[in-house]
Amino acid sequence: MNISTPSITITPTTTAAISMLAQLGAALLLGLVMLYAVGFSEASVAHNAAHDVRHATGRPCH
Amino acid sequence: MLFRRLFLCALFVGLLTGIFDSAVQRWQVVPLILAAEVFEESAVPQGAEHAHADGAAHSHGPQAWAPQDGLERTAYTVLANVLNAIGSALLLMPLLAFWNRQRAGQPLALHKGYGASVRYGLLWGAAGWVCLFALPALGQPPELPGMQAAALQARQVWWTLTVACGAGGLAMLCLVQAKWRVLGLGLLVLPFAIGAPQHAGSSFAGMEADVALQMQQLVARFVVATAVASALQWLLLGTLSALAVARWLSPLLNPVAPATRLEGTAS
Repeated sequence: MNISTPSITITPTTTAAISMLAQLGAALLLGLVMLYAVGFSEASVAHNAAHDVRHATGRPCH
Repeated sequence: MLFRRLFLCALFVGLLTGIFDSAVQRWQVVPLILAAEVFEESAVPQGAEHAHADGAAHSHGPQAWAPQDGLERTAYTVLANVLNAIGSALLLMPLLAFWNRQRAGQPLALHKGYGASVRYGLLWGAAGWVCLFALPALGQPPELPGMQAAALQARQVWWTLTVACGAGGLAMLCLVQAKWRVLGLGLLVLPFAIGAPQHAGSSFAGMEADVALQMQQLVARFVVATAVASALQWLLLGTLSALAVARWLSPLLNPVAPATRLEGTAS
């Protein structure tokens, strides 16, 4: 992946950049898992608890 | 640590947005769902798994737990809204923070005042609404309880594909500085070229003619109500996320202090 930055920033060390990207990526992944649990999880408990939210946010529900 | 701060910001932004969203839904979305459930009860059961003999709303099995109507159901809806908003914030904030960093921290910087953050937050929130609500809704309009539709899994796959293509396509169109950015248009159109899963037959099969007619009117109102509610949700989420990025995340991502850099470029 190209992570080069516009000219005026000081280029951080590669390790720091990788650490930053890993942490941003981890947060992104956690977000996806949470959205899956609320919106798509097939467990009937999750479905029934989040039922109205699934309908209200346009997720396929039944 | 960046992740910890991101997570705390998402909790904070998600809590506020989720509670706000629950209030909006309570006012104009939930009444339509409850009205549709009355009609759903009156419909001829289509299959054993959808029988509602025990009175529980939407149990997919006879023993399935469901919150009691009233306070308990509302509480779980608020909880689900908060979790949904935290999840959305966890998607939006890393992207916002990275985008801001690639622009040397210029768009979301506190020394430029809160105005710029709010403006970009509204833009990113609008993008979130387009990707996670509007585009999937074009192929699969929001459904009310009691409606018949194509197989659940096929619709979930199409929804996910549409959201992914929408996010990728929009990012290419808006963020890439190259001629091939127009390929983003192709990505946006791709799910619709494939086509959303279609249900063979009426969405209101098993209902009396007059009930089906009333359901149709409810659905028309439901589409507008959900579009408005989720637009408000995304605009608030985007604004709060951008403010959080400017205030709490950018300092971790942009080692160069804005004041120093401005002096550097001016000289």
